Amino acid sequence: MLQYILPATGLLFTLENILWINIGVFVGSVFAAIPGLSVILCVILFLPVTYTMTAIPGMMFLLGIYCAGGYGGSVSAILINTPGTPHAAATMLDGHPLSRQGRTKAALKIALYASTFGGIFSALMLLFLGPQVAKVAAQLGTAEYFMVCVFGLTIIAGVSGKSIIRGLVSACLGLLISCIGTDPMTSYDRFTFGIPRLYLGLDLAVCLIGLFALVEILAKAEKSLGELHLDTTKIKDDGKITRQEYKRMARPVLMSSIIGVLVGIIPGTGASEASWFSYNTAKNLSKHPEEFGNGSVEGIAAAESANNAVTGATLIPLLTLGIPGDGTVAIMLSALMINGLNPGLSLFTTDGDIMYAIMLGLILVNLFMFIQGKFLTTLFAKVVSIPQEILTPIIVIFCFAGAYSVNENYFDVAVALVFGALAWILRKLELPPVPILLGLVLGRMTETNFRRALLISNGDPSIFLQSIYCKIFLALIIIAVAAIIRGKLKEQKAAKAAAVQKESN
Amino acid sequence: MKKRLLSLSLAMIMTVVLLASCGDSGSGSGKSASWKVTCPWAPSGVAAMVSQKAAAKSTQYSDTITLVAEAIAGDAATVNTWVMDTEANDPELVFVGEGLLSITSIIDPSKLQFSEDDFVFVENLYSSIFVLSAEASLNIKTIADLEAYVAQGQEISVAVNGAVGSEAFLAASLFGKMGAGDNLKLVAYQSAAEAAQAVAKGETQFAVSHQSQIQETYQQGSVSVVCAFDEKAIENGPFAGVEGVGQYGYPYFRNRCFIMARAGTDEETVAELKELYDNILADEEVVTWLQDTMLLEVDTMSQEDVDAHLENVKNIVNEYKDIVAG
Amino acid sequence: MKHWVSQFNARMDRWGERLSQKELRIPVDLTVGILFFLFALAILLVMPQQVAISEKDAVNGRAFPTLLMVVMMICCVMLVGKELYKIVTKQPLNWKTINLQTELKALVILAILVVTYLLCRFTDLFVVGAVFCCLGFLVYFRCKKPSYYVITITIAVVIWAAFRFALHVEF
Repeated sequence: MLQYILPATGLLFTLENILWINIGVFVGSVFAAIPGLSVILCVILFLPVTYTMTAIPGMMFLLGIYCAGGYGGSVSAILINTPGTPHAAATMLDGHPLSRQGRTKAALKIALYASTFGGIFSALMLLFLGPQVAKVAAQLGTAEYFMVCVFGLTIIAGVSGKSIIRGLVSACLGLLISCIGTDPMTSYDRFTFGIPRLYLGLDLAVCLIGLFALVEILAKAEKSLGELHLDTTKIKDDGKITRQEYKRMARPVLMSSIIGVLVGIIPGTGASEASWFSYNTAKNLSKHPEEFGNGSVEGIAAAESANNAVTGATLIPLLTLGIPGDGTVAIMLSALMINGLNPGLSLFTTDGDIMYAIMLGLILVNLFMFIQGKFLTTLFAKVVSIPQEILTPIIVIFCFAGAYSVNENYFDVAVALVFGALAWILRKLELPPVPILLGLVLGRMTETNFRRALLISNGDPSIFLQSIYCKIFLALIIIAVAAIIRGKLKEQKAAKAAAVQKESN
Repeated sequence: MKKRLLSLSLAMIMTVVLLASCGDSGSGSGKSASWKVTCPWAPSGVAAMVSQKAAAKSTQYSDTITLVAEAIAGDAATVNTWVMDTEANDPELVFVGEGLLSITSIIDPSKLQFSEDDFVFVENLYSSIFVLSAEASLNIKTIADLEAYVAQGQEISVAVNGAVGSEAFLAASLFGKMGAGDNLKLVAYQSAAEAAQAVAKGETQFAVSHQSQIQETYQQGSVSVVCAFDEKAIENGPFAGVEGVGQYGYPYFRNRCFIMARAGTDEETVAELKELYDNILADEEVVTWLQDTMLLEVDTMSQEDVDAHLENVKNIVNEYKDIVAG
Repeated sequence: MKHWVSQFNARMDRWGERLSQKELRIPVDLTVGILFFLFALAILLVMPQQVAISEKDAVNGRAFPTLLMVVMMICCVMLVGKELYKIVTKQPLNWKTINLQTELKALVILAILVVTYLLCRFTDLFVVGAVFCCLGFLVYFRCKKPSYYVITITIAVVIWAAFRFALHVEF
């Protein structure tokens, strides 16, 4: 490794690379901050820019977009209660409430610091433990993937609000929606009702626009214009994070970075899953779980560090085994292969300098994301003080343009509208929207792996308990369920105590 | 104030650079028209990568046409949408392989909202020889070893890309002809890369994949490559010498990727596009890249070649569809 | 013109005032339970037409959605059962108050969104819908500042131009 570091540094630290990193970081932050414009869409749109570049500047540009996209999604989640990208949905739960408390800049800063830490942590993991970790990840099969999904579904309880039953109804709805389109196991169509556009299924980014962005627009009906305007007396926002808050953030950030890396190395899982897993874990381990959902600094830090910790980790199976961890990384794989680099362990010896330059470059990308983020935070924070009359139509235009851009057709805009109306009705029925999102994220993966595992085992369910990894995931599921029951018992006890106190008063 | 000015100027500079770079990449010279090439398979797939390479080279060979590669996984669904959204002479191209025209058209015709008449053939982008890999512990390295293994009458599980894709039919035709159709279990994965990994993990005994997708696991010793789905043995690359199933009388076909324009597009335009693709595919760098990195072959075709290829695949599908689709 | 606008606003205010007094109370858990039970039942009924299966499938394409709908129905039965128990034991139900003025305002916003979509769709020119959207919301918020109109419409056109010419999104 050491013999490659010096030549790799020489390859990396050129003016061209630094420039492309910065352009990539800027483009990624801005794109991801706009609802509907996902990171993968951004990478697809800007991929042609790399055609004329060599491998390193091309990869640096794409990595800039990828990493900054991880952070950028949090901006709109914090400012307008709409996650710019699906993986920023968990950030929204606490980011926006903190912003409503007049601490927008602080919320943005927490997201930035946590993202940077998560990103650098995973880059270091890639650099020092990449090949070893990849070998373990390569052993995870269909049954293990299913167990990961089941573990993910336990999060529903944590995001269901007051009633787990209502959360389950929402989650079932989300999981059902994920079934729309071509059956991944048989290629037959399901629930398309003769509508040709539904054969492709519903795009997550489009559903997200309806569920979170357009419903917020409809919610403007609940308040008068005067109420909608930000109370300027509340803005005492100097963006300062107290020492105690830093202390409280430390554990969830570290924990979530580890979770992000673990999730990231498993191909097929991504930043959305990581941020939810981490958010849930941070809530379960926190001394102040009651703050989650009301502007908890731990919640923002956990979600953001996890979704950025995925960035370096998804590169581990890519660079060491040639397996792309998610769609965005798959496009990076093609950027490498177009330059004649066929990723795999052999590439570490034949083109070690290029491989290490890319891995070191990831650290650099995160540092530049931090620097740019520091400047951009000031600008982003101003969004909340834009008058509602101007901001509301602009958000709608971005949402419609974003939904249209996904497949370049108006059908997706109509789908977003339908989801917006549906979310409004669900809000009236007090059904939480976050479990729907979880269902959409995990649905296809859960079903496919469940069915495939049973096909492999000829219908024998013991396949889900055979490997050591399955047993580890089972233990995690049991711990998660126990934590849910413990939390509910605590809540009941507190409610009873409050009732007794009320009576005695 | 200073900080605010600095932030503003940083944002301005970035925006200008961003717009400039976008403008450069997309439109090229004033006369150039962008042709979007839609690949209906995963962006990490072989076809998507070759399409990007072709797009990268397009400006070098044409002042009037710039190819823009796009990958939207969805197979028939993506092509259905493409057909719905395009008209003759639209600057849009799409990939259609034997999977759609020879397999889906027989197995699930209601799924296709199009027929061959909706397209006009431009060129074939590449030809790929699929290989059958086996889990290393089975120690199957030749077709003779495979025949001996099959003769034991055990269940045979094969990882394939998609439930009813080219790989599934190649596996079905090989094992079906060996008389093991009833023992065959096809396990569908969502990409060829995933299927190739499945055999290395031991989830299945065999996998059918592109050569490039099995190369890394083969080099690590997790799998052995048993045979190639071609007439003769593979001649180049890391799998040179691997026997072709055709040598033993088993059915085979190569995977091909046809670039199609919308039916009714001017002949002149189609000829211009074909010429551009032919020039790109004759480029020495592209040829070497296809051979060494992607383990594919340049294989330009005429409409007659295409028809013959589709007919051959249709015959195989008709013969073995019961094994695959039940 | 000004007079007409203020007359229109005054009339709207009067209607709003009257509507804000009108409220609808729904037993939310009972409604969710019944509504989603029927929804799950409907999905189960259409399943054979909507999901084709093959005899070869170990676990077919209907298994997972069926499981989901069964879970949904069980949850609904639990919700309804809980509420019925409350009725029997004379405990207060979980009520949700819906204000008609709010719902009407939400409908107006939805109408702006739908018209925006239709304008984009049928003119095939996104910028037309975008400009309407700006005007629609500015009017909805009763904005009287001309500068806001200029700023918002300019931003809308710039967004369209950025997508159209810089990102090559054809709309």
